[in-house]
Amino acid sequence: MIALVLIGFGMVALIQIPGLVRKQWWRELLCFAVLLFMGLILSVMISMGIEIPPVTTIINETITGMLGM
Amino acid sequence: MLLENGKISSLQLSLLIIGFIFGASVIIAPGQQAGHDAWIAIALGLMEGLIIAGIFTVLTQHFKGKTLVEINSLVYGKILGNFISILFIWYLFHLGALVLNNYSRFLKLELYPATPKALTLILIMLVCALTVRRGIEVLARCSLILVTITILMAIFDTLLVAPHMDLQNLLPILDVPIGKLLWTSHATAIFPFGDAVAFLMVLAFVNKPEKGRSAVFKGVLIAGLVLIGVAVRNAAVLGQMNPIYTYPTYITAQVIDVGDVLTRVEVLVAINLITMGFFKISVAYYGAVLGLAQVFNLRSYRPIILPIGILMVILALTNVSNTAEMFDFANNGYPIYTIPFQIAIPLITLLVAKLRKLPQIGGEQA
Repeated sequence: MIALVLIGFGMVALIQIPGLVRKQWWRELLCFAVLLFMGLILSVMISMGIEIPPVTTIINETITGMLGM
Repeated sequence: MLLENGKISSLQLSLLIIGFIFGASVIIAPGQQAGHDAWIAIALGLMEGLIIAGIFTVLTQHFKGKTLVEINSLVYGKILGNFISILFIWYLFHLGALVLNNYSRFLKLELYPATPKALTLILIMLVCALTVRRGIEVLARCSLILVTITILMAIFDTLLVAPHMDLQNLLPILDVPIGKLLWTSHATAIFPFGDAVAFLMVLAFVNKPEKGRSAVFKGVLIAGLVLIGVAVRNAAVLGQMNPIYTYPTYITAQVIDVGDVLTRVEVLVAINLITMGFFKISVAYYGAVLGLAQVFNLRSYRPIILPIGILMVILALTNVSNTAEMFDFANNGYPIYTIPFQIAIPLITLLVAKLRKLPQIGGEQA
């Protein structure tokens, strides 16, 4: 599973990075790399079975808890 | 440098808004909490939805050809403006993930129980990413064909299910307590009508900006009328069972049986969800990607399409634990959670712009 994730992310990087380096769009490359890295970390966590906190449930519980619904 | 060179017509905008509003509401019936009075809740919600549309369209009329991110920078200055823009981008990103989640949950429950959710999510995300990459014009052109087909399918379904309709099921009218009805109508105004605030990132690209406002109103109104029709049909066919079902529109289509030959038409509803969900996800995705590119002053939004798409799939996979929680959020948390994004941000921005007498025509800020 992790191998599949790494191959997928590798393909995305291969599609995008050469074009950005050729155009010397460093700001865009940095933005792309940071976002992709965040995605990679989270994907690897999911494929290793590490639970990621459910964001929507947390928002819902916070709102309904605050308003006593 | 302009990040988006495409232009869309006011007709395309109206159709895009109809498709966007149908998005998840083809499957998650709005106003369902009000039981057989759902159509009244939708009608009241439509009025509130039109007010929300009124607020954000006034803002875009003031700042013609500018997206919300650019408007925020002008009105609040660079730092505060970008902060507010990032909040709005989060809303678009979260909205896209929620629709993706609804979409994959429905496919898993009703159509592909053995297929992993991640696979359906990645496939729809790839289609949306390709569309967003091609720009707003391509999305708008798709709406002309797909929304027309969806409305025709809804009429077709209604005609076929007509023999099973019993209008007595709509009685007694106003059976739900008034407090519950008002809350449900507010929830309906927020989802699906208020979500159209995502078009603050799209209205800048209408070829005749002065017609943008009426196009938004037409879109919201037509979508609202179709949804009222669908709610009446569902209540008339399913009766007391209507509020029990998770996906009443889908179940209503299952009832269709013409001479034992024309059956299992519900897959048409699933097709509607797939096509209309595509619009809602794509508009939210496009808004989030374009907004982020403008905040970070990028020369093109294309490099960040795939990473944002990946993050959206991850959020869609992990954002709620189960279907009951998702419905609880849609009915209770969401109508409050979205008020800052759908009403407060556009309204306060408009008021501050008025106080600061922006935009100054001919001045450096115009």
